Amino acid sequence: MNLLLFGPELYFLGMALVLFFLSLQRQVKVEQTYYIALLLSVGGVAMAGWCLFQEGELFFKAYKVDLFSQIFKAALAVGLFLVFMISQNLAQVEERCHPEFYLFLTTCTLGMMMLLSSVELLTIYVSLELSSYSLYILVPLRRGDDIDTEAGIKYLFIGAVSSGFMLFGLSYIFGATHSTYLADIVPKMGQLIQNPIGVVGLLLALAGFFFKVSIFPFHFWAPDVYQGAANQVTTFIATASKAAAVAMLLRFAALGTSFGYNFAQALVILSIISMTLGNLVAIIQKDFKRMLAYSSIAHAGYILMGVLTMQEAGYISAIYYALAYLFMNFSVFLVIHEVARDGRDLKIPELAGLWYRSPLLTMTLILGIFALAGVPPSIGFTGKLLLFTSAMNSGYFWLVLIGAVNGTISLYFYLRVVYHAYFLDPGPRPKIQLSWPSRLLNYAVCGIIIGFGVFPDRIVELAKLAAKMVL
Amino acid sequence: MTEHLASFPVLSCMLLAPPLGLFILLFLKEEQQFLIRVVSLIAAGISFALSIYTFAAYDQKLGGLQFVEKYEWVKTFGITYYVGVEGMNAPLLLLTGIVIFTGVLTMWELSERVKEYFIFQLALVTGVFGVFMSYDMFFFFLFYEIAVVPMYVLILIWGSTRKIYAAMKLTLYLMAGSGLIIPGILLLYSTSGLFTFDMVRLHAVQFAPWVQKVAFVMMYIGFGVLAGVWPFHTWSPVGHVAAPTAVSMLHAGVLMKLGSFAILRVAMYLCPQGFQYWAQLMGLLAATGIVYGVFVGLAQTDLKYVIGYSSVSHMGIVGLGLATGTVDGLNGAVFQMFAHGVMTALFFSAVGFIYDRTHTREIHELGGFSKIMPVASAFFITAALCGAGVPGMASFWAELLVLVAAVKVFPVRGLFAIAALVIGALFALRVVQNTFFNEPNPKFVHFEDVSPFLGLPRMILIGFMIFFGIFPQTMVGLIKTSIIPFIQGL
Repeated sequence: MNLLLFGPELYFLGMALVLFFLSLQRQVKVEQTYYIALLLSVGGVAMAGWCLFQEGELFFKAYKVDLFSQIFKAALAVGLFLVFMISQNLAQVEERCHPEFYLFLTTCTLGMMMLLSSVELLTIYVSLELSSYSLYILVPLRRGDDIDTEAGIKYLFIGAVSSGFMLFGLSYIFGATHSTYLADIVPKMGQLIQNPIGVVGLLLALAGFFFKVSIFPFHFWAPDVYQGAANQVTTFIATASKAAAVAMLLRFAALGTSFGYNFAQALVILSIISMTLGNLVAIIQKDFKRMLAYSSIAHAGYILMGVLTMQEAGYISAIYYALAYLFMNFSVFLVIHEVARDGRDLKIPELAGLWYRSPLLTMTLILGIFALAGVPPSIGFTGKLLLFTSAMNSGYFWLVLIGAVNGTISLYFYLRVVYHAYFLDPGPRPKIQLSWPSRLLNYAVCGIIIGFGVFPDRIVELAKLAAKMVL
Repeated sequence: MTEHLASFPVLSCMLLAPPLGLFILLFLKEEQQFLIRVVSLIAAGISFALSIYTFAAYDQKLGGLQFVEKYEWVKTFGITYYVGVEGMNAPLLLLTGIVIFTGVLTMWELSERVKEYFIFQLALVTGVFGVFMSYDMFFFFLFYEIAVVPMYVLILIWGSTRKIYAAMKLTLYLMAGSGLIIPGILLLYSTSGLFTFDMVRLHAVQFAPWVQKVAFVMMYIGFGVLAGVWPFHTWSPVGHVAAPTAVSMLHAGVLMKLGSFAILRVAMYLCPQGFQYWAQLMGLLAATGIVYGVFVGLAQTDLKYVIGYSSVSHMGIVGLGLATGTVDGLNGAVFQMFAHGVMTALFFSAVGFIYDRTHTREIHELGGFSKIMPVASAFFITAALCGAGVPGMASFWAELLVLVAAVKVFPVRGLFAIAALVIGALFALRVVQNTFFNEPNPKFVHFEDVSPFLGLPRMILIGFMIFFGIFPQTMVGLIKTSIIPFIQGL
């Protein structure tokens, strides 16, 4: 067996072990733990990059390593690294819990990575739960008021319910096809087309991923968890975790390729409801993270547009958008982290005068927000246009029209953020000093948002190769 | 369409000069105001010079698409970077060059958040250049959006009168337009079966009639919002009034032309049957816009509102010209885009100068202003004459061409439009009289007149207006080289 096939997973398992031993210390050395975790995560990025072009199968073919999974593993590793970059100042997590914080983020990443390569139902389920359980612990880790507990409980309950749905759906699929291997299931799914059990089974099985991506009707956790969890945890949930879940959704939805109409129609409806609901409710939010939660629900709807086409172009654009979403969402969270250094929940009006307090952060914020709103030249614009293009190619005219109208609606609340950050006076708030790593991070994120928005070809070609692996 | 590749990437340089300037600005400090202005001026100046060059160097005998640059951008989705110049966009590139260059000069005295202002202005103008030169729908739309969104920030921060309301209204209106444009464009993309965004190749495709009808009306309304087509114009007077001077110049002068140009370039070019189906409606809306703009403009007491509504009626002339679908009509429409652009830029530039000093734009308060600031007033009066369509000014020829064509195609609407314009001209002269030739307001007596340097941008604008008024053939001949093949393609 080629160890490199399992390289990233082994690395993160080792990393989790190191962090586990650190968590056993009686006296927590905050600084030291941070730098160890950060350094290890840099190694993780390198490892995932090194294994990018590995291909093969493991564990009795329950585990498939291909470009598709490796790209998203790299994205996960980058996401974890980015989150660690803004974790130097974990104001809202008790000091004795710091090693656990890093530990569970790492195990969550590990679970997600395994999820990406799993092509067998039980492996998928176990990996999904590994990542979910880590997050169940991370969400209430925040100290202070009760909002974290509420968020934690909500997250656990809705997660458990969606897991239940998923298991139920998986049992249908297993019952109908007598196999837990996706490779065996795919050819048999075609015969199930007349049989409702197939559609219902698949839709229920997707519930687990809908929960992760926060698609209606499994979105209820998002606003509370986004607001209630520590900023860094929210960042992870909103970026790396989202991207990986989209990847899994793609792999799983490919099962429905032969279903054609019924299955796709169900997804169309979910997509429309998700984006419309997300955008409309986001308008009235005052808390920044809560607004972003609703915006993430809307974005889940957009991504679903690419998924439901079940065609290469749609998959390419969904992959592109998932990766783009990681960076544009991170840029916004980066700003939240720097403005609310004490880890409090940032209200949108608190952004007032950011243009004076830190021009660089304002630039990052505006680019991130514009990318989320789909304004060029940014990855958000290109990604959204590619999604619309592929949906239109599959004949979903109304879906595209509704998506485009949604884009206009969303602009209203995104512009309100710009309005506060860019127009209002700072009042007594002092200037924000940025450390040089943070400056560098800002420049890098801005560069990525614009660079890959204007020159998307590389990513699209990579996504094309990856999409071929899944379909 | 014949293509002639560029030996030197003139268009890319024209397009990239502003973003390059923007990039340099990012690294300057807010305190280095002079340097910031100079960098912006140089960036705008390069684009301006290159736009004059393409206008003059375009070979009319050769015709077709010249200075073409074409690179494959995203192969999988059929996106190409495809820019070129032909008779109908050369004047508009020139217009953009003129307005941005004079716009930077006009804002020379700005002192509040200078760096950011020029950054956003350069971003905006990049989008405008991009739209006028792109022959790929993806880039066309990308630049279109780049041109629209910075307006929000520009109006919000450096604007006046109800700016928060105006900025949001303008952005939402225009983005709602985009919401219609995207499905329209993508419908053509996906039904063509070519999977390319290349407009020239898509032009060769015979789309099914229903596709053309649906796509055309979506794009017509979508782009029409920006073109100020009645009844989707309501954002425009409010937006113009709220925007700072140079932004009003750019916006009324150039941005609204993006809308009408896009209707011509994308909607009419790709959906000829759709155009024929909807031409009556276009004519009706345009004629209504002309009459409406004139009469509502009469009731205004704020000089900028007067200009704002006159823009609605002048853009109606463009729309009417497009709706005729004849050589003269389209010729006139493109010429009018150019003429109105220069004229409105001059209007707003003149009003901006007056407002910066007096902080009022109320007509009755200014009364007799020509005795205080004769030169500044002269700029405004020249623009007003041009707006009224006085012979010897560029817009005279443009309006003449359009109205002659309109009376042939839509006799009743054409006559209404002419009548409205005559009345409008009469009242424009009354505005001029009330603003500039009554008793001077003693409050403003101490103000100094325009210095030669600040007068420069206005002089440039007047120069172009009169030049093309006296030699309209330079413009009409150029536009014709592309309109005639265009009409044959319809």
